[in-house]
Formats: sequence, structure tokens, C-alpha cells
Amino acid sequence: MLRLDDRRFNRLALLALAAGFALVLIAFGLIVASSIGNQRATERVQHTYEVVDELAQLKLAVERTETATRGYLLAPDPRRMLTFRQNASRILPHLAKVTQLTSDNRQQQRTIALLRPKIESQLAIDRDLMARSERGQLGAARQLFIERVKVRQIEQIRILARRMHDAELRLLAERQGTEAKRRSQLQWALAAAGLLLLLLGAAVYGLVRRYTSRLTRARDELHLLNTDLEGQVRLRTADLTRANEEIQRFAYIVSHDLRSPLVNVLGFTAELETADRAIGGLVERAEREAPQLVTAEIRHAREDLPEAIGFIRSSTQKMDRLINAILTLSRQGRRTLNPEPLAMRPLLEDLAGTLEHRLKDAEATLSIDADVPDLHSDRLAIEQIFSNLLENAVKYLQPGRPGLIRVGGRSGGDRVVYEIEDNGRGIDPADHVRVFDLFRRAGKQDQPGEGIGLAHVRALVYRLGGTIELQSALGEGTLFRLHLPQRFSDLGGAD
Amino acid sequence: MNNQRPVNIVMIEDDEGHARLIEKNIRRAGISNDLCHFLNGGEAIDYLFNHPEGPARNGPALVLLDLNLPDMSGTDILVRIKGDEHLKRTPVVVLTTTDDRTEIQRCYDLGANVYITKPVNYESFADAIRQLGLFLAVMQVPDVEA
Repeated sequence: MLRLDDRRFNRLALLALAAGFALVLIAFGLIVASSIGNQRATERVQHTYEVVDELAQLKLAVERTETATRGYLLAPDPRRMLTFRQNASRILPHLAKVTQLTSDNRQQQRTIALLRPKIESQLAIDRDLMARSERGQLGAARQLFIERVKVRQIEQIRILARRMHDAELRLLAERQGTEAKRRSQLQWALAAAGLLLLLLGAAVYGLVRRYTSRLTRARDELHLLNTDLEGQVRLRTADLTRANEEIQRFAYIVSHDLRSPLVNVLGFTAELETADRAIGGLVERAEREAPQLVTAEIRHAREDLPEAIGFIRSSTQKMDRLINAILTLSRQGRRTLNPEPLAMRPLLEDLAGTLEHRLKDAEATLSIDADVPDLHSDRLAIEQIFSNLLENAVKYLQPGRPGLIRVGGRSGGDRVVYEIEDNGRGIDPADHVRVFDLFRRAGKQDQPGEGIGLAHVRALVYRLGGTIELQSALGEGTLFRLHLPQRFSDLGGAD
Repeated sequence: MNNQRPVNIVMIEDDEGHARLIEKNIRRAGISNDLCHFLNGGEAIDYLFNHPEGPARNGPALVLLDLNLPDMSGTDILVRIKGDEHLKRTPVVVLTTTDDRTEIQRCYDLGANVYITKPVNYESFADAIRQLGLFLAVMQVPDVEA
């Protein structure tokens, strides 16, 4: 199949259009030329007939003048005299007209040159005869007339006039012949142009049809894609949900399977400890009763064993806490969220109540703005987010400075912004991203914790469809800003 | 009911370390009943239902069950025990690392009598097992109606 790209199609279409216009122009030119030719031909025919007509009139005038003269000579009648005068006066104007009409024809001019003296002489003689007859010399006039008949001047005039007449008709026939030939040529040319135009039209039609059908197909595909966009989104969301569930399951299994060996490590460590105590008692007794049995190595072992056991124990306990953290996070991700209307001020006040002792110990004050906007979201998630952030604020205050913690917020359309601000020890800008990672902490490690809180907070905020950011400088306090949807809707999340 | 007949303890636990720790602490609590240990579900089921010495054919028993087994899920064994005509009254103590609330609930729904999470903190683990031992000492285990 012929591949038709847009550029090629455009060029072809333009070419076809130009060719079509050229053909139409040519056809138009031919028609104009033909009509001009026709008009000229008509004019010529008309001209010829005019000449023929004029010639006939001339002939008639000459004949009637001659007849009138003859008749008058036979029987002088004033009516014949009148006829003579009328016709004789017409001869020269007709002759002049014929001369003028045939001025473009040399042959005819030559014939006229022969004809003119004969007509003039005939007319002059007729006038002379009539003049003589009027004067009463009728006999002499008759004699003169008979002589002139012998000269056969009128015959010669007739022959010449006929020659002119025939020449004119021949010319007309010739001209009409060439005209007809040209016209037939023109007709052929027109037919060819028409045929070409038809072919071109068909080609362009085919081209446009194919192009249009391709366009239609493309448009249909686009339409399908467009209408199926939602389906695609649903599919992607399902994919994402599945991937998320996979990760959750993975975290869950990993933490479980890691926990199992840990039970052993801790358990047998405890058994070791018990054994160590028993052996320790024995060594002590030996030292008291038979000191020579207790070598330096045994004494060292006595000291090393509890230390080793202590390290094993603390490391394993730490590992257990980490695994528990992963488990908590994974469980959090699997939990079904139940959006409900939340009155934020009472909720925050309850949280503040649980922190009261620690606030008192830290000599810190927590203030909640009266105008914190309410929310439609999952209660537990929101509580956990704020309690983690508030706990952090209390935990990381700047020593030697009375702590001030403020919770505020504002509503903007379908998003709500909350701010938790403190004047604590702050976070180094280099750590602003890191603090949200699991098991990562920033600053002096003087507080208990595993580096889970903020990771947990961020995971929850994301699940609620929000974002969290922080502004902080070392020693100047920290501001956490939460952007949450005013109304949480679980879109394709874990069921 | 025949309290004279000794109660066999059937322990289904794939981790030998765990099994050893559990046994140790049961003995420490002063329980000296026979204890059969199985490392996988298949063998345990075979013993429970078909073995001539097993509880289905011979005397009362108590099952200590771990949920994570290599060849099947512990809950499957629980379902089979509780669905069996002879064994359905046999107490089952689920002992596992999971403290997932839904899983605990599920085990109770399926008929588990006690659910104990194996804490990583060994002292509490040992305590729990010892208390279980004391519990076993006073517990009336129904005889299997053979």
C-alpha cells in the first residue's frame, strides 16, 4: 500500500490543484479564442453577403437604367424617365460601396478597376441618350442605342459583376472551411482538457478519500484512547495498589521471619546467662577454697562472659525494636482508613493532655490556636501524625530555653494546612530529607528512639493524600507544615 | 473423664531452638508429662490422627502449635483438629511470633483455646511458658471419646 505521510499528501494535493487550475485556464483560453474566431467568421459571412447584396443592387440599378432607357426610346413615357432617374442616381453610390467593401481584396479591386470604366461609360451613354430623347432627337438616340447594343457593353458588365460575385462566394467557402477545421481542432483540445480534468479530479478524490479515511481512523483511535483514559488510570491504580500490597506483605513476612531467630538468640542468651551465674558461683567458691585452680584465663572469662552476653542482648533487643518498627509501619499501611469528621481542637487538646507530664518536666508550654480548621479524615492516622510531631517537639527542645510549641492551621479550599512550630534545637538543613527516612535520626543522639516517628508520619500523611515539609535551622526551632485534603477519600488504596 | 490418664503434650514447632526453649521452661515449671515434638505439619497430623499412640486413638492430649510451619499453615492444623469428631475438645495452645490482632482473633475464631505470643524478651517468654506449665498442671483435659 502506498504510504501517505502528511507532507507528501500536502505536496501532491497542491500539485493536483495547480494542474487542475492550469487545465481550467487552458480550456477557458481555448473557449475565448474559439468564440472570437466564431465572431470573426460570422462577420466575414456577413461582409460577404453585404458585398454580394451590394453587387446585386449595382447590377440591378445598371440593368434597370438600361431597361428604362430602352423603354423610353421605344415609347417616351414620363414614368420611364422617373424610373431612369431613380436608378441612374443609385449606380455610383452602389459602386462606391462595393469598392469600399472589397478594399481589402486586391483581386476584386482589379475586377472593379475593369468594371468601373464600363459602368461609368454605360451610365454616361444612357444619360446622353435620355438627354437627346428629351430634346426630341429620338431617332438619333435610337440609332446610338442600337450601336451600343452591338458593343455588348452590358454583357461585359454582367460578366464582370458575376466574376466578382463568384469570387466573393468562393472566398467565403474557403474561409468557412478553415474556420470549421480550426473549430474541430478546438473541440478536440477541449475534450482532451476535459478528460484530463476528469482524471485529475478522480485521482484527487481517491487521494483525499484515502487520507480522510486515515484521519477518521486516527481520530477514532484517539477517541477510544480518550474515553478509555479512565480505564487506564483505574488499571494503573490497581497495579500500584497491588505493588503496594506486595511491599506490605513482604515487610510483614520479613519482619516475622526475622523475629523467629531472634527469639532463639535472646532465649539462649538468657540460658547462657543462667549458666554463667551457676558457673560464676562455682568459680567464686573455687577462689575461696582452692585459689590455685583459678587461672588468669578463667578470671578473664569470668569478666568477659557477662560483657559479651550484655552486648548480644542489647543488640538483639535493638534489632527487635527495628523489626517491630517495620511491622508497625507495614501494619499501618494495611489498615483500612475510616474517614470521619474530626473536630481538631478537642483532638489536639486530648493529645496535649497525654503530654502534660513531659511538658511540665521540660518546662515547656504548648498552645493550640483557636481557629485550627476541622478535617474529614481517619482519626487514628491523624492522631498518630500529630502525637508523633508533638512528641518530637517536646523531646528535642533546646536546653536552657523555655520551650514554646504552637499548633496552628488554616483552610484553603479543599486543602488544609497545619503547622507545628517549636523553638527547640532545630534540624540541620543537611538532614531535612534524611529525618523522614526509616531508622535515620539527626543531631545529638541523646534521646531514646529508633528513628521511626517521622518515617511513620510521612507514610501516614502520604496515605491520607497529603504532603509534609519542614523548615528549620540548627538552634532556632523547627516548623513542620502539613498539607492535607480537607476531605479524605480512599482512591484505590488498600482495602 | 479420666484424670488418671496422663496427658500427652504434642508440640508442633519448626524451629528447634524455640522447641528446646519451650520444653526447658515447661520442665522448669515442674511439668513432666510426655512431650512429642514435630518439626512439620504433615508428620504432626499423621501422629494426631493416625498414630496408635496419638491422641485420636489413645488418651487425652494438649497441642502446642506454631503457626509458621514449612509445609503448611498452623491454622490449617487448627481447623482440622477442631473439625475432628475425636479431637475437637483437645486444648490447643497457639504459640507464635505474631502479635497481629486480626491473626489472634482468627485463631480464637477457629477454636484455639489459648494464644501466646513468643516475646523476644526472653524473661517474659520464659514466664509465659512457666505459667502455661502451671496452667497445665491445674487444667482438666477431656479424655478423647474413643
